[in-house]
Amino acid sequence: MTTEPTREDVILEIDDIHTYYGAIHALKGVSLNVRAGEIVTLIGANGAGKTTTLRSINGLNQPRDGRIRFQGRDITSVPSHQVVKMGIAQSPEGRKLFPRMSVRENLEMGAFQRSDRKNLREDLDRVYTLFPRLSERKNQKAGTLSGGEQQMVAIGRALMARPKLLLLDEPSMGLAPIFVEKIFEIVREINEQGTPILLVEQNALMALETASRGYVMETGRIALADEAKALRQNEQVRKTYLGEGA
Amino acid sequence: MAREQRATGGGGGRAALLARTTLERLRSRAFLLVAIGLLLFYPSYVDSAQDLELMGEFFPSLNSMVIMIVFTMMAVGLNIVVGYAGLLDLGYVAFYAAGAYTAAWFASLQFEQVTFHFGAVGVSEDLPGIHISIWLVLLLAALFTTVVGIMIGLPTLRLRGDYLAIVTLGFGEIIPQFVRNGDSIAGFDLTHGTFGISPIDSPGFGSTLNDTFGLPESYRQATNAQELFFWTAVVLLLFTVFCSVRLRDSRLGRAWIAIREDETAAAAMGVPLMRTKTWAYALGAFFGGIAGAYYASFKSGAFPADFYFNISIFLLCMVILGGIGSVWGVIVGGMVLGWLNVEGLATIGSKVNEATGIDFEVPKYQFGIYGFIIVLMMLFRPVGLIPERRHQRELEEGVHDEPLYDATHEGN
Repeated sequence: MTTEPTREDVILEIDDIHTYYGAIHALKGVSLNVRAGEIVTLIGANGAGKTTTLRSINGLNQPRDGRIRFQGRDITSVPSHQVVKMGIAQSPEGRKLFPRMSVRENLEMGAFQRSDRKNLREDLDRVYTLFPRLSERKNQKAGTLSGGEQQMVAIGRALMARPKLLLLDEPSMGLAPIFVEKIFEIVREINEQGTPILLVEQNALMALETASRGYVMETGRIALADEAKALRQNEQVRKTYLGEGA
Repeated sequence: MAREQRATGGGGGRAALLARTTLERLRSRAFLLVAIGLLLFYPSYVDSAQDLELMGEFFPSLNSMVIMIVFTMMAVGLNIVVGYAGLLDLGYVAFYAAGAYTAAWFASLQFEQVTFHFGAVGVSEDLPGIHISIWLVLLLAALFTTVVGIMIGLPTLRLRGDYLAIVTLGFGEIIPQFVRNGDSIAGFDLTHGTFGISPIDSPGFGSTLNDTFGLPESYRQATNAQELFFWTAVVLLLFTVFCSVRLRDSRLGRAWIAIREDETAAAAMGVPLMRTKTWAYALGAFFGGIAGAYYASFKSGAFPADFYFNISIFLLCMVILGGIGSVWGVIVGGMVLGWLNVEGLATIGSKVNEATGIDFEVPKYQFGIYGFIIVLMMLFRPVGLIPERRHQRELEEGVHDEPLYDATHEGN
């Protein structure tokens, strides 16, 4: 079903990576790619290896085997601060804010690796436009925000790096349904402004509605890969991840 | 007031807030100047202060002040590692030792095989050994200690939390042991073993500068030696504090705070963990080295018995008492504990004995007492005497802070 992408289109290409946590073989040959301008989602159960895949990309847990290419360059064993500098920013699982820094300081941390720091003001404004709520709370300590607001900070912080690829790890986790809607709306908006996104989600329904393509992970492997629309129709996906009875 | 805060969205509210912070800043600056002034002129009123009927004994002598200031300098240096970067270092004494021995190597009779003089004062031209001007030795000590800091840091900083603390504890033990046993390294006497190295040259500006600018030729031979040592210590402390504040507000300082708050998140933001942590170690060591070298020159000796583990803990207590991460707090903590250590406990002890008629040697229980102070601090004021401004500013702007939550941040 999936059309083979042309080489120029692909900005992130993961080729058969194997990643370990100590002796545990967490990723057993994962391959996927993200093309310019699209939202790709990675869904699957807890422990399937979704977060590990992201950690492999950004250098926090480098794969022992396989190749990761970003914009044609091999980044398989590039340290994480370099990966960020090259343009891959992420909103990590569990948000991972700096709780005693203010919202504004958190956002500024997102731009840490940028060399053109003079446009900081402009980028802050962009984030505040995207999340007016954060503008109201810019001097508040991040640790005192609600879950939804913290998620906004996490996404905003990643945007401050002016990423060429945005990795989002479970942006809907622990949020009230109304916030989930809002977050996905913003994910779409960020994408429409031109940033490709790799979205890891447990909320498969929302993720497949938002993304153009999807990968389904099971125990360290890609079990299914298809257009998001097709995956929504897939019987197995419906049963396992969308919670629909047979 | 409350209404004003709520109105921060409007222009008037913002202006009021701005005016208030400017006022606040002016006030703290004025306070700072007064404090520095009081400190600098201490020699001129210490005698009359000590003659006071009521509290006279509580004013430390100039010599005690030098010791207090040197230890405070080290505490401010340690605060870079523990307070800013959140790396629990239980072996800071190693840097103190490295600094002191650098002074001992480059400004004493230790290496009598050679005779090398460069700007040394108060020693005759033909005295054997290396004799370099103490001012240069301070710089050398700072650089050497920085290198030691990097050498200790590179293998250990991969570790986190408790593991890091244990390894630094190990290094804090290794260095004094090395110094104690370093009197015959393949037959070469590097540290003069348990005897230590003494005497060490005095600071001073030499005869030329003395003639032209009236700067003291050699501190130890001057009539006001105590005052000179005191003022120099104050200048070194001010330098340390200035650098420390500038570092805190720099990009590197922000990276340290990020690592302290959440190491994984910091890495995800592109903070190079190893490099940033090693910088904290190196810069913390830098000031420890200067303090150690100056102290060695002040007391004219470096002895292995000075570098026991308890010094590391003592410095850590200063940081905790004052407020982890808060420069001003650490200064207060350092001066208070330093005073208790050199004079205070003895003074208080004799007062207590006088009043109660019992014979109780208070200074004997010093570490029990410091431990008790720390336990009390942890229970009732875990953020320290003067908490870090980060907390304070947030309190001013009306964000409610839960003290218990802050107390847990060292555990991360």
